[in-house]
Amino acid sequence: MGTPFCTSALLKEVMADYYARGVQAKERGIPVVWVTAVFPVEIVYAAGLFPYYPENFGALAAARKTTEKLSATAEARGYYADLCGYARCGLGDAHSKEHPVGEITRPDLVFCCNTQCGTLQKWFEVAGRFYQVPYFLLDVPFIEGASTTLIKRYLVEQMHELIDFIEVYTGRQFDFDRLTEVLSLANEACRLWNEILDTAALRPAPFGFFDACFHMAPIVTLRGTEAAVAYYRELKRELEERLEKKIYALPDERWKIYWDHIPVWPRLRWFADLFAQNGALVAVSQYTHSWVYHFDLERPLESLAENYAEAFVNRGFDYRVERKIGLMRRYKVDGFVLFSNRSCKPTSFGLYDKRSIIARRTGLPGIVFEADMADQRYFAEEQIREKFRIFFEQLTNR
Amino acid sequence: MERPGPQPKKEMQAINVTEALGEFQQIARDPAAAVKKAASEKIVRVIGHLPTDVPEELVHSAGAYPFGVVAYDRRQISQADAHLQTWACSLMRCAFGMALSGGLDYLQGLIVPTICDTTRTVYTIWKKVRPFHFMENFLMPRQLDRPSAKNYLLGEMGRLKARLEQFTGRKITAQDLGNSIRLYNRHRALLRRLFEFHVRHPEILGNRATYDVIKSSFLIPKENHQELLNRLINALEQELLKLKTGREKTRVRVILSGKLWEPPALMDVLDEVGAVCVGDELCTGWRYIANDVKENGDPYVALAERQLARPPFACFVNKKQDRKDALLKKVRETQADGVIFVHLKFCEPENYDYPYLKEGLDAAGVPTLRLETEVGNVSLGQIKTRVGAFIEMLEGAK
Ligand code: SF4
Ligand code: SF4
Repeated sequence: MGTPFCTSALLKEVMADYYARGVQAKERGIPVVWVTAVFPVEIVYAAGLFPYYPENFGALAAARKTTEKLSATAEARGYYADLCGYARCGLGDAHSKEHPVGEITRPDLVFCCNTQCGTLQKWFEVAGRFYQVPYFLLDVPFIEGASTTLIKRYLVEQMHELIDFIEVYTGRQFDFDRLTEVLSLANEACRLWNEILDTAALRPAPFGFFDACFHMAPIVTLRGTEAAVAYYRELKRELEERLEKKIYALPDERWKIYWDHIPVWPRLRWFADLFAQNGALVAVSQYTHSWVYHFDLERPLESLAENYAEAFVNRGFDYRVERKIGLMRRYKVDGFVLFSNRSCKPTSFGLYDKRSIIARRTGLPGIVFEADMADQRYFAEEQIREKFRIFFEQLTNR
Repeated sequence: MERPGPQPKKEMQAINVTEALGEFQQIARDPAAAVKKAASEKIVRVIGHLPTDVPEELVHSAGAYPFGVVAYDRRQISQADAHLQTWACSLMRCAFGMALSGGLDYLQGLIVPTICDTTRTVYTIWKKVRPFHFMENFLMPRQLDRPSAKNYLLGEMGRLKARLEQFTGRKITAQDLGNSIRLYNRHRALLRRLFEFHVRHPEILGNRATYDVIKSSFLIPKENHQELLNRLINALEQELLKLKTGREKTRVRVILSGKLWEPPALMDVLDEVGAVCVGDELCTGWRYIANDVKENGDPYVALAERQLARPPFACFVNKKQDRKDALLKKVRETQADGVIFVHLKFCEPENYDYPYLKEGLDAAGVPTLRLETEVGNVSLGQIKTRVGAFIEMLEGAK
């Protein structure tokens, strides 16, 4: 993280505005809907409801190093420290009187899509009971190879159930024209976001993974709104300006690295420094590349169903290997780091075998390291440092 | 046992309970031998499945022999470590470990129901590193209460049917399926009768014996199991006539909540302390035998309806069936004195439900105990002490 971006100030404004709208929603009686990161939020925006992302709350709590404190409250209620850290932060906050990162916004409705994981299905179910509000699960069967008509039909049928559910709840007819507008805004934001990410492939690059982790809040929360489009236009403009002025993410970029998934939030800075000291730019990650949606405005529900059900988080072994290798090739990386994240079984199980397969196919050095994205109790600093020391040595000796 | 069972053949009359039980215990102790024996008697394909959400009737109607892969070779757990993190539940580590060490080579196929993140991911690793000739997912819907669930489940059953037909080279007719359904219904009815007998006469049929019989029914062909079961029931009835002396002192009645009765010695402990397990929510217990398939109408629809109406389980969302209410109802109906939660470490679906269930039971004044166990790695001493103290407490309160 080199010279700070001017856009950072704008980001603060955009996000403050988003949270303010959440507060206003509460005051004006606009339903606040909890949604999961990979949920067709476009439907929620089109219905005029306010979407709130508890996973973001988890990431924020983790980045502020409050996981252990919030988790202790959850653990005292009988939730165990083995559960996903985001869920423990969310549940801990719900049961706490103290709110070290501000109180999690209370939902009027809880919508979950289990394409990512079964944890969200359970956590949101628990939340629905805790806040005593309706819970809707958009259920996505696992797609191992190619998707099937059966799965597509199931998803579309559920989209209709979801819309019916919203109509009954709000007493308003769902506006499909509005949905088309929202989808086209989402398309635009996704396009800009991916163009921004792609600047990390330049050598040297003006932008990397740690920047992306910082700037990704709007693509997650405001996808489908003007605000996200405006923000990413601005960020893109600043990046072009930086390229002209030769301001790079790292002053001495020697290597590009693929990082598999989520960052270790409480150690974001620690890792950013570790890589920077070694002249390595983390250029790409499947995590920040999750928002690659493209919706067909002619067939909105089908297209939503396809985009969300077929996201990589719901795919089989080979697909995921191809995706990782594809990103590594596109960004011409020199090595890869796979994060075995104790919180997140669906992204972590299988990494041992994926590491050897990827190393064999690409000839690149790569490691798997163990930690937790939120909980520092599982962070064995010395061991991790040693593992990375060897990794950087391998890069040097290539 | 009020109603007389099917008339036993003459030569069976001499069998005593210990002998009859011995056969089941033998099967539960060495499932591999049982499979090999059964498979050698009749040339048939043995298809494994992870209990107990796969519609076995369908597998059976394809002329195959469905074998439930329960964790039985605990020594093989560490075999999985090179491929799977140690924070996966020990049930999957054990099943996968057994396969890796060749311990499941007698299977020609495997069907894994996708019910949680662990099954979803381990299936893909398994298929990659140690595939069976035939390997399938059974992609259950995980919301069970909306119309879309049934439509989709019917489609998924059709898919599985087609795959089975492809593999066995045999068409499944409605009549085949009808026959399998009747066989399974009869078998479940017999097991339920056995369970009732156990509840009424634990002095003759203890906890371990009862649950061993249920478990062994996953392991050998239903036809053979049914024969043994008839024999056992007959022996039990005779024993009952012989023992018509005074009433036994009333035992403490407990319900087990969770997924599996692991470790098996838990049941011995309950026998030792003189408690009777009068009901459970276990996949390898009552949940397996609780409900039947309608015998008239479309057999696929009937099969799907049974699947949707099975007793609640943490991995499925079903607003028509609240798990806490179902558990409380069971406590009332069986006049249980307390509930023991048997949780496998790292099984998150169960953990998310625990505080809710516990609160419900607390509020109703039902004492509870939670045991966290692992396949293959538990301190039996601790279980003995804790279960002993709990039962003593319940006894005191009676
Ligand atoms: S970190 Fe993993 S387990 Fe946790 S909510 Fe996200 S996808 Fe689910
Ligand atoms: S439901 Fe629990 S015990 Fe069963 S495979 Fe999943 S994590 Fe393991």
